[in-house]
Amino acid sequence: MAGRDEASSHEEIPPGRPMSMEQHMVDKVLQSLKPIKQMSQHACTFALYSHDMNRQIETHHYVTRINQDFLQCAVYDSDDSRGCLIGVEYIISDRLFENLDPEEQKLWHSHAYEIKSGLWVSPRVPEMVARPELENLAKTYGKFWCTWQTDRGDKLPLGPPALMMSPQPVNLGMVKPALVQKRDGKYNISTDEAIKTTRLEINEPEWINPQADYWKQHGKCFAIDVEPVEMKRMAPFP
Amino acid sequence: MEGENVSTQPEVPGEPTQTSTALLETATATLQGFGPVNKIHQHLCAFHFYAHDMTRQVEAHHFCGHQNEDFRQCLIYDKPDDDGKLIGLEYIISEELFLTLPDNEKPFWHTHEFEVKGGYLFMPGVPGPIQSQDLEKVCKTYGKTIHFWQIDRGDSLPLGIPQVMMALTRDGQLYPNLAQDVESRFGISFAKERENRAYMTGPAHGLHPLGNAAGRGLQTVLREVDCKPVESVPSVFV
Repeated sequence: MAGRDEASSHEEIPPGRPMSMEQHMVDKVLQSLKPIKQMSQHACTFALYSHDMNRQIETHHYVTRINQDFLQCAVYDSDDSRGCLIGVEYIISDRLFENLDPEEQKLWHSHAYEIKSGLWVSPRVPEMVARPELENLAKTYGKFWCTWQTDRGDKLPLGPPALMMSPQPVNLGMVKPALVQKRDGKYNISTDEAIKTTRLEINEPEWINPQADYWKQHGKCFAIDVEPVEMKRMAPFP
Repeated sequence: MEGENVSTQPEVPGEPTQTSTALLETATATLQGFGPVNKIHQHLCAFHFYAHDMTRQVEAHHFCGHQNEDFRQCLIYDKPDDDGKLIGLEYIISEELFLTLPDNEKPFWHTHEFEVKGGYLFMPGVPGPIQSQDLEKVCKTYGKTIHFWQIDRGDSLPLGIPQVMMALTRDGQLYPNLAQDVESRFGISFAKERENRAYMTGPAHGLHPLGNAAGRGLQTVLREVDCKPVESVPSVFV
């Protein structure tokens, strides 16, 4: 399944009754929702499941910048009001990345190719305006956990979280053309054009840490299992 | 550390945001489609502990939107401020939806009845009677919470693998100092809330025995797997 068909399956994911609206207006008035207001950008890109890189998804990141070296993103499967919250991605500078433990670094992916190839876009923002941020992002690393696998038709978020990887310019990491075409059609953009023009000028990082994109050099991917254990407790449960 | 919970707020390493970056971000926010984020209308404060370790407890600020009457998706921050760190997410579903889950999925989900009736789950800034209108619904729901950032152990970055979280199910679990700290910061009294909520009822079918980690505990584990074989030619989907 290349992605959710917006015409039909939005209605069923998730299942449930239509909302009663009244009190929600009141809530919004009384509460300030500050962290949400700090989301300053929408980016659209692609990601691949680490444990099965044949499964690729279009993602919508809503990005908050914490400081020059750190971004946090709420990730949805669509940018319309029915978008499902499918996970969270953290983005850090190369400076912060180099200070991580090598075992931790394995869980992260690089962004250089995604940016240079035009796969990562800021919809409705002219390339020139987005340029400084793209240059910054090209040198970053991301850690992306997916908690709802809507691409395989899950109507509810099932199972343990999945680690996601970024597109890379080698076999397993290549995004299927049809996925890109569908995205480009929606936003009336051309990823091909971007590569040839604006993105060409963005500097490649001098070096990408080989612990990132771990699968590329090691052929190993990651999965999360959940095991039943005895909860450490100081009071009865449940 | 038993008996003492350090409610740490991470100091994320990094340089302060550059002006050019900040200006760009203001520009982009006005142009772009923030569909799913605009649906977030509600701030709930509650407590979570790790599904493998009740002694590690965290104050959790949920920012929630309804997909429909039976389903909410929430972003979780360590505090409800501009610099709140995105530490996790939670899905909240009606009992009806919960009962449709496969049995091996049900343990991920915790009940809300105790924390709602106990007063521990509340909506900062919203008067009691208005809160109650919504919380009486929340009282009957189940939640699936995943945290990605273990701030309680002082991590200044989101390290390690995702953690399944559980919620309060009876008296004696919540650390008194955590409770008092939240009460004083938000100007509320859990005891008073408990009185207001005495009329509320939990799930119609009672607390499902497979919910709340099936009464035991859950632990996530990272597994290395061989990457799935490459397809020689990317297929084109219609």
